[in-house]
Amino acid sequence: MLLGLDQIQKHFGGVPALKNGSLEVEAGQVHAVVGENGAGKSTLMKIVAGMLRPDGGRMLWRGEPVYFGRPADAHAIGISMVHQESLLAPHLTVAENIFLGREAMRGGLPLMDKQRMEAETARLIEEHHFPLRAGWRVDRLSPAQKQLVEICRALHSASSLLIFDEPTSSLSESETVEVFRIVRSLRERGMGIIYITHRLAELGEIADRVTVLRDGETVHNAAYSELSTEQIVHHMVGREVAAIYEREPLPPGKEMLRVDLPEARFTLHAGEIVGIAGLMGAGRTELCQTLFGITPASEGSIHIEGREVSIRSPQEAVDHGIALITEDRQKTGLALELPLRVNVTLAHVDGVSRNGLVQAAKERRVAQNYVERLRIRASSVEQLALRLSGGNQQKVVVAKWLFRNTNILLFDEPTRGIDVGAKAEVFAVMDELARAGKALLMVSSELPELLQVADRILVMRNGRMVGELPRTTTQEQIMHLAAVGK
Amino acid sequence: MKFQAGMLQKLLPFLTLIGLLVFLSIASPNFLTETNLASVVRQTATINIMALGMTLVIVSGGIDLSVGAILAFAGVMGTMAMAGGQPVSVGILVGLLFGLLWGFINGVLITTLKIPPFIVTLGTMGIARGLVLLITDGLPVTGLPAGFRPLAEGSIAGVPYVAFILIVCALLTHVLLHSSKLGRYTYAIGSNTDAAIYAGIPVARYTVCVYAISGMLTGLGGMIEASRLMTGQPTAGMAYELQVIAAVVIGGGSLTGGEGSVMGTLIGAFIMGLLSNGSDLLGISPFVQQALIGAIVILAVAIDEARKRRFSG
Repeated sequence: MLLGLDQIQKHFGGVPALKNGSLEVEAGQVHAVVGENGAGKSTLMKIVAGMLRPDGGRMLWRGEPVYFGRPADAHAIGISMVHQESLLAPHLTVAENIFLGREAMRGGLPLMDKQRMEAETARLIEEHHFPLRAGWRVDRLSPAQKQLVEICRALHSASSLLIFDEPTSSLSESETVEVFRIVRSLRERGMGIIYITHRLAELGEIADRVTVLRDGETVHNAAYSELSTEQIVHHMVGREVAAIYEREPLPPGKEMLRVDLPEARFTLHAGEIVGIAGLMGAGRTELCQTLFGITPASEGSIHIEGREVSIRSPQEAVDHGIALITEDRQKTGLALELPLRVNVTLAHVDGVSRNGLVQAAKERRVAQNYVERLRIRASSVEQLALRLSGGNQQKVVVAKWLFRNTNILLFDEPTRGIDVGAKAEVFAVMDELARAGKALLMVSSELPELLQVADRILVMRNGRMVGELPRTTTQEQIMHLAAVGK
Repeated sequence: MKFQAGMLQKLLPFLTLIGLLVFLSIASPNFLTETNLASVVRQTATINIMALGMTLVIVSGGIDLSVGAILAFAGVMGTMAMAGGQPVSVGILVGLLFGLLWGFINGVLITTLKIPPFIVTLGTMGIARGLVLLITDGLPVTGLPAGFRPLAEGSIAGVPYVAFILIVCALLTHVLLHSSKLGRYTYAIGSNTDAAIYAGIPVARYTVCVYAISGMLTGLGGMIEASRLMTGQPTAGMAYELQVIAAVVIGGGSLTGGEGSVMGTLIGAFIMGLLSNGSDLLGISPFVQQALIGAIVILAVAIDEARKRRFSG
């Protein structure tokens, strides 16, 4: 046994994040750790990587008790972690980031050996066929490329155990395949791998064993071959969840949005949910941002309910009745240090104001109402947004636009990084909105979800719309169109 | 237990203020006298009123280094109007408007040029100070009407006018920050500007408003300062920006935005005022005072950071 965790505990300000984190990793094995957001996966892994100190429990390394006071302690025995969020220094190069904190020096002199660092980085990049150069600055890289730099950094230092924290959440299909290839080759070299993921479909590709965490406790641990996806979901959620979400499309109502832009031409009707598929970088998010006035259209036209409109700012978009639930809720969706209640009413403060003053009681009532309606798990409406789990944060963003009551809603990757239970609840809200006569556009990289939720699917490739497919289409047809463009 | 410790830390600025009051009452027989307390209020009023505006600016994630220079500019303009024969009320109004104007300029430069507020206000600090010295040729504006003196020096039943002015300004700012749309947006912009933009908030317009209000309060501070000196000093308010920022920060304002309150700022400003007054009464050198206030700023922020860290993952 490489690593053994026995009843690890961790509290934050009296709130338990981890009550019983237990798992055992063997060398030459990929051990998948799954669980809903807030289940304690990342906390447990940060303890293994020495970033957090445990409050209780035992950690064994090759059978010997160990204690990590800081990340360097974990590094020293060969444990490294690929982080979910980029922890890179944006102004430094790829090579400088990979060697950050352990720079190669010129024998005995206090000078860095830049050539050696660049050469070693180039070798590492070459070995794994990454689309990177050692001398590129990190702030010019795409999210996927940054993730690859993180992987390089971990590969460069890890000798025994490598932890991947949702490494594929920002990667395209081909890059994901590459990550699987790397993981398999590391396993063959006898390394232990811990792999955290939300995408249960990935488990079949690489997992040898699976540990399920729920509410800070290890609830199940078995070989992957002995588990079905339904069983894993059951353990994660602790209750039965309809694995497949079924939605009956409604007869479309009147035309709400007509887009006639160089990059895309389509219409959106009341009661419709239209999906947008495409690979990473196909221009889906950019299209949403154009419709929402972040990057206004320079040519073409946009009609709302038959009238041509010009949308030059988000403010104008909202005035025209368009809402955007953004891809990155932490960066563009929420004011994290402010209470849930403030975030819910932020796009419609007038709705809780009288004579220009916010009515505190009314605001709390409105927020409480959405907490109940969307089943947001929060201690109270005063809870800070940053204390909520990913799924509940996403529900707060949705609540914000529900309260603004716009007729057109653009959902950009609405289920990214949220757990199975929350996904079903977000879809239920979307269905409810469509039934209420709203028009919805949904960008998603999760093809099964698009097929379940959307009435028809627009496909984008290289910045342009290349086709439209009915809801009866298949994943293969969508992928073909997205990759080849017909 | 931990929660209670957290509450205690949150209340620390307030408890420090009470502690200072108690200590000074015991240590110096001259402290708890009407004359002394009135003079504490008079001495701190200008910084206090400016700090109210700075609270808005800092909550919005900004900073305004130009307030000291704006104070001098507004004071000189207001007193020049009076020296030129305008009535006192018009003079005060002129001061307020010039303060507002400079704040407006700051806000417009920050939002249109997209330059960090630190840089913009560093620049306008130099411009406003340079211009006011140029206009006055470096000489104070004198010959002010006697009716101007009561603004800073007048009192009702022993309570200085400026105490009432401060209370009114504080109440208005409190309502503005905590109950109005402007205040709500100020917190949102300071907490996450991108999220505010994506919520359809006209961020630039509200940012300009915040700086303009801060400028206007500074203009008021400038008129009080001019009334206290009974001259319009082009060199007034030197380094006031640092005291004003310190007051907000001691009171829990965060320079990364999204945090701060009127109550906190008032407490912060009074802690600094009492330290200064107490040192005078106890015969402590003003040089020691400066070092003391510097240390308190660091200590206050350190305690606040420790409190926040404890409650985050």
